[in-house]
Amino acid sequence: MTVITVALDSAGPAAAGEFIRATKPTHPSLIDAHYEVARAYNMVNVPTAVWIDEEGRIVRPNEMAFADNRWIEYTKFDMTRYLEAVRDWARRGTQSPYVLAAKERRRRLPLPTAEHALAAATFRLAEHLHETGHPEAAVLLFKRAQTLQPESWCFKRQAWALTDAEKFYGTNFQKEVAALAGRPYYTPLDLGG
Amino acid sequence: MAAATATILFPAGKVTVTGEADAEALWLAPAELAKAGGWELKPEGLCRGSLCVPVPPGASWARGRGADVRVDVSGLSRHMGQPVAASPEHATWSIGEAAEDVADRLRSLEAPDFTLPDLDGRMHTLSSFRGRKVFLLAWASW
Repeated sequence: MTVITVALDSAGPAAAGEFIRATKPTHPSLIDAHYEVARAYNMVNVPTAVWIDEEGRIVRPNEMAFADNRWIEYTKFDMTRYLEAVRDWARRGTQSPYVLAAKERRRRLPLPTAEHALAAATFRLAEHLHETGHPEAAVLLFKRAQTLQPESWCFKRQAWALTDAEKFYGTNFQKEVAALAGRPYYTPLDLGG
Repeated sequence: MAAATATILFPAGKVTVTGEADAEALWLAPAELAKAGGWELKPEGLCRGSLCVPVPPGASWARGRGADVRVDVSGLSRHMGQPVAASPEHATWSIGEAAEDVADRLRSLEAPDFTLPDLDGRMHTLSSFRGRKVFLLAWASW
């Protein structure tokens, strides 16, 4: 099994680089500055994992994925069980009970709506304008993307990270999590198996 | 309206074209249209690959005849179901992939392919890993 990590970071190597260098990965550790993977797979948060088999087919679509329980406050799930599932799949392939049936894979697919597609195009425009020296125009477009796909924590947190979140968005991560008022930050994991 | 340089952003790249902007419309001559999404004007209509779209009479996104034909790539893309976000004041348009196309690809259960750089700038393509299981993990510094 090959691990491929993809950093969803508009600021590219400047933002993701220090983490990559610190871990010295022996697997491909890629940088997705324009959110291509996020868009194609309709990812709304990180960390998100997708299991892909030897034929290039999705075996398990988007799920939150942590290697341990340091963020159990947010995951509300014992992620050591998930890690065990990954290992089981690596060992046993299609024999693993964690490999979902095709019907279940399709049921879980986060299919994008027209609003999601427009959100992605809007976000693309926003990050380009930010990168080319128009940060205030970018804020207006980041806000529009956030409105078009409000469940996307990627669109929120990436935009906040590029500027003074309080000043330009009137909020920050802590406040938004508090506003969840107990609702889950991550979509609950349904391991199956 | 004067001809001016505009940037069109696509999901995986961008192009510079010369056209005439009118609010969110971006009028391009056929030669520029090819750059702006691979469109070619043929007798059958506007063609991209094997797909040809007839130009409906009175289409708001096409005007002129012969050498004066101009197509509003923003309007054409929307007609094709593609999302368009525009910032005319910055001469920049962002044309995305139609939701239905993204959805159809996911429904096929084939993992969408991509090519992205590592920290050294070396490009890696997902489909080159066929024959191995791939655990794809998206993360972020934020």
